[in-house]
Amino acid sequence: MIANTLFGYIVVAMVLFSIGLLGVISRKNIFVIYMSIELMLNAVNLIFVALGTYHNDMGGHVMAMLVIAIAAAEAGVFLSLIIVLYRRKKSLDSDMFRTLSQKEAV
Amino acid sequence: MMDILFLLLGSFAILGAIGMVGFHQPVHSALSLILTILALAGLFALLSASFLFMVQIIIYAGAILTLFIFIIMFLNVKEANLPKEPTKNITLFLGSLALLPFNFLILRAFYQMPLHVNSVESDFGKIKPLGMELFTQWLLPFELISILLLVALIGAVVLGRKDEA
Repeated sequence: MIANTLFGYIVVAMVLFSIGLLGVISRKNIFVIYMSIELMLNAVNLIFVALGTYHNDMGGHVMAMLVIAIAAAEAGVFLSLIIVLYRRKKSLDSDMFRTLSQKEAV
Repeated sequence: MMDILFLLLGSFAILGAIGMVGFHQPVHSALSLILTILALAGLFALLSASFLFMVQIIIYAGAILTLFIFIIMFLNVKEANLPKEPTKNITLFLGSLALLPFNFLILRAFYQMPLHVNSVESDFGKIKPLGMELFTQWLLPFELISILLLVALIGAVVLGRKDEA
């Protein structure tokens, strides 16, 4: 019964998106911040697929595939950035990476 | 049967997400994110998106997160290099309290919708109709995505090489 309703999928996606947002705003480890962004992308994917099936339209599925491709591109760039930053600062703290802001970098 | 599967997969997804936010070590976070991704693949299968089920397992769990765990182990982060987060638990708690009203808003908005998913045709979500859709209606976004992937590839190579000068 509940597996055939749109509401259950919306609830799951909403909870996942909230947890991802919470991780972005409250953690300092830059790996965990990135994984929270991936989690939010996945929640949006679930909503796309659920609405695509709900409306009997395959556009939602194609959209979810495009989101997965964007996540893959993001992963490549992000990981190479992390390697460069870790070589320079020897830390994963996101507060360390503020050389572009006005404050002096710690 | 479908209901039990849905409840199991949904609770696994949420548990994995909570673990991902809560764990201190990044490797534990990545492993629990894999649990979430696999549970979401199961939810895609329940929504009769069989091709996306495979894509989620092969590309997300198989390629992206494996690359991720590989990088975490490659960096070999010591405990002293991890950021100290003494106020992590209290911040997570307060943040979840702050997010509750927005969630109630969304729940109210979607509770008004008619709930039952229409019954779908037998080949809905399979690879052939999805490919037809992708290469006819969505051809331009597909090509743009390929250019984006090329740019990301070049960017990763340029960022990742050693400084010579």
